[in-house]
Amino acid sequence: MSSVDLGGGESRLETAISYLLVIGVVTSLLLEAIGMVLFYHSYGQFYLSEDKAMFLHGRNFFNFLHVLLCGGFPDKSPILFMTLGIIILMLTPYVRVIVSVLYFAWKRNIKYVLITVFVFAVLTISLGLH
Amino acid sequence: MLDMLSLMLMSVPVGFIGSLTGLGGASILIPLLVFFDIPVKEAIASGMVTIIATSSGSASSFVRERMANVKIAMYLEMFTITGAILGATVTTIIAPTYLYFFFAAFLLSSFVKLRGSTKNDPVPCNNQDRISGWLELRGSYFDEVKKEIIEYRVCNALLGGIGMFVAGVAAGMLGIGAGAFKVTVQESVLKMPSKVSTATSNFIIGMTALAGTSVYLLSGFLNVTLMAPMAVGTTIGAIVGGRVLNKLGDTSLRILFFIVVIFLIAQMLYKGVMSL
Repeated sequence: MSSVDLGGGESRLETAISYLLVIGVVTSLLLEAIGMVLFYHSYGQFYLSEDKAMFLHGRNFFNFLHVLLCGGFPDKSPILFMTLGIIILMLTPYVRVIVSVLYFAWKRNIKYVLITVFVFAVLTISLGLH
Repeated sequence: MLDMLSLMLMSVPVGFIGSLTGLGGASILIPLLVFFDIPVKEAIASGMVTIIATSSGSASSFVRERMANVKIAMYLEMFTITGAILGATVTTIIAPTYLYFFFAAFLLSSFVKLRGSTKNDPVPCNNQDRISGWLELRGSYFDEVKKEIIEYRVCNALLGGIGMFVAGVAAGMLGIGAGAFKVTVQESVLKMPSKVSTATSNFIIGMTALAGTSVYLLSGFLNVTLMAPMAVGTTIGAIVGGRVLNKLGDTSLRILFFIVVIFLIAQMLYKGVMSL
């Protein structure tokens, strides 16, 4: 069934989204798992830390991302891996919206360009504000 | 004492049960974390991130099989994400005591879905209203049981949107997917077929969770050592749960659901009363 468009469907978009979701989730969970193993390697145990370093802080998401990519993150590789896992997890649905906007623009479906741009704008503003 | 390894191991059966009962992993994990004296706002923030993983993981196959309707999902996401941002913002500022009671109250609403699941597909929408028609809210899917292509249309797009906004507020506020509530709105108001409704709800939950996470990420409540084992464990459990779902009888699923929800409600009420 997978290659058949049953009408009302957007098969190319669906295939792209499906791959995107799988790649995003698998990459993210692998990073989380690596982070946990490194945590055990560094601290000798798996304890749930209430240390301030274990809580994410920053001005907003984009600034946080910028600092992370510029290597400004504290040199604690377990936390870095786990944080990267969260970031990739968050970027998965975010990229899904961008792909959808581009797809509907390519299909010249103005209604759905507006709908997906609205979703993208609200998410971007929220990520930029918090 | 709870540590990352035991939390990950505990999250596997939780994801499994969450997937079987339709509650989702976070609805079960958050009360359990509270039971282990993890601060409720930390539990909620980690739950919200976890949902992106479990939802996106299960949604990928629904999208590939054309069961989730992408257009309907995009339309409804406008409402759920706005609600989720509002709900999550409220959680960051209100006293934790309220959250225990809100959580218990919201779990009660999942019984509506239990009652609803005894029925067959909702009444199909034959006369689509103008707005739903204009929004192209329709689709078709291949029903494996009936071995035929089922076409469907969506009704009451505006009212359904408002219902999804409420679902978004609850999801963002409590760090859960609010899947049972979303499915109820989609079937009762929007008249979507059950299978499409469940699949589309799963797809929407990931985006709603991202909106909630956007508020929690840097709020100072997101503990990476809590979130990482939860995400890995529940996603593994949910994948296994999704595979055995069709092999289990309805009655045993309902009994399991009932026991789990009663326990979770009692746990949250107890913590709420103790924190007064």
